Amino acid sequence: MGFLSGVFKKKEVEIASPASGRCVSIKEVPDPTFSEEILGKGVAVRPAEGKFYAPADGKINTLFPTKHAIGITTPEGVEILLHVGLDTVNLKGEHFTAHVEEGASVKKGDLLLEADLQAIQDAGYQTITPVLVCNTGDFADVIPAAEGDVAPGDNILRIKL
Amino acid sequence: MKTLEYVITDPVGLHARPAGLFVKKAASYESSITVKNMENGKSADAKRIMAVMSLGVKQGNKIELTMEGGDEETAETELMAFLKENL
Repeated sequence: MGFLSGVFKKKEVEIASPASGRCVSIKEVPDPTFSEEILGKGVAVRPAEGKFYAPADGKINTLFPTKHAIGITTPEGVEILLHVGLDTVNLKGEHFTAHVEEGASVKKGDLLLEADLQAIQDAGYQTITPVLVCNTGDFADVIPAAEGDVAPGDNILRIKL
Repeated sequence: MKTLEYVITDPVGLHARPAGLFVKKAASYESSITVKNMENGKSADAKRIMAVMSLGVKQGNKIELTMEGGDEETAETELMAFLKENL
């Protein structure tokens, strides 16, 4: 009872940057799938390093076989999608190393995956990483909370429950 | 209740943009719509993006849609047309 009542009393959930880099508006992502918010509202991080950490506590409910995208559901039901790079599905897993498995429970800050950013760029892909709330419609609002330099763990999104 | 089957031809499967557009389309009907990946037996609410993407639908996989509700016939026709055009 104590744990659950604590969760449901919260009015807001904070989502952290998965990587070090620069946080920018989702509108700056040169792919309409993200900039038109077809998959949900969010922000994007231009990663400076290829290490991606859990943006919140939750469960890994999707890890694509291509390891370029990962879905995490928080205890409050926020469905976060981390999509490393654009069109990187075409790399078929090359240059990506996953450190978690589907179904695993993670804590904010746990290492989720590593990407060789230079190799991805050399292959002709951008590494900008949208961080989205897929079930945006389930919440009162999803608000960008950062712009500019961020470190893993810095708050980048606020979700009003 | 209506059902339809479709084999995905998009090289990246039911992912990102096509998945997002599919979910938006499915959400426009009042009928409940379930999508099942016939390859692994997993099924999901077709109106939820994360659930749909977690089905792991790849090129060549057959999916089955089940529609139930007042506009199930319209949904069946229009979703079939949508799948043929986009996926």
